Amino acid sequence: MERRNFIKNIMAVSAVAVTVPNSLLAEETEKAKVSKAPAVKGPNDMPLADAIKAITDGKEVKESDKIKLTVPEIAENGAVVPVKVEVESPMTEEDYVKSIHILNTKNSNSRCADIMLTPANGKAYFSTRVKLAETQEIVTIVELSDGTFMKAGKSIKVTIGGCG
Amino acid sequence: MAEKRKSMIKIKPKKYKVGDIVKVDFIVIHPMDTGMAKDKKTGKIIPAHYINDITFSFDGKPFTKMKIWESVSQNPYFSVNMKVTGKGKITVDYTDNLGEKNSKSKKVKPKKA
Repeated sequence: MERRNFIKNIMAVSAVAVTVPNSLLAEETEKAKVSKAPAVKGPNDMPLADAIKAITDGKEVKESDKIKLTVPEIAENGAVVPVKVEVESPMTEEDYVKSIHILNTKNSNSRCADIMLTPANGKAYFSTRVKLAETQEIVTIVELSDGTFMKAGKSIKVTIGGCG
Repeated sequence: MAEKRKSMIKIKPKKYKVGDIVKVDFIVIHPMDTGMAKDKKTGKIIPAHYINDITFSFDGKPFTKMKIWESVSQNPYFSVNMKVTGKGKITVDYTDNLGEKNSKSKKVKPKKA
């Protein structure tokens, strides 16, 4: 009986990774402050809201479908979660993606990577693998050469946490 | 300088011409310790040790810079694109939070169009 319920639960949460709307991101930012914090404080600890503010200096950040964020719906191993960001952009001197920032909502340091691109890249693309302590969202903030910011986010269910 | 770590730069696809946009993958053997995990044998905290800065250059001119945090996985993998402008050399310079500096290069050899 227990096993049947367990399987039912797994089926229920095997949902498609959804693009996270603005309101949910805001709620998650609050939740991030009270998430499972590890016993040891790291020197780089920073919650998502502070990290976003540091990147955007408080400027407006809009959801954009020009950003394609690819992450697994379920990460079997939280220690190695692939993250890929692609942004539609001509990547010319006049109009290019200046930076891609990869953040998370529940690790004690919400910052994963900050990538500064140039037109020499040809395409706005970055891929890496990150550690996620628990089920949470990956958020990407993209800065364009005109100084504007865009964002996208996706949830990842983590079965085995990856922070040691 | 002699590289102190094992790393690899891969250009994909293997055959490309001037004007093509190729994928440049960089993978390096590095613990990427967060400074929050405990050594299972001693119970002591393993100090933070992670790559924090990477610069990709082509013929000495930087085209991508990265600031990396300890949340990136062990033996990290990074991938970006590069527009092929001619024959030359890609160099990846990387440092970690303990000040270790390393460098890896790979030749770029475009086929005749």
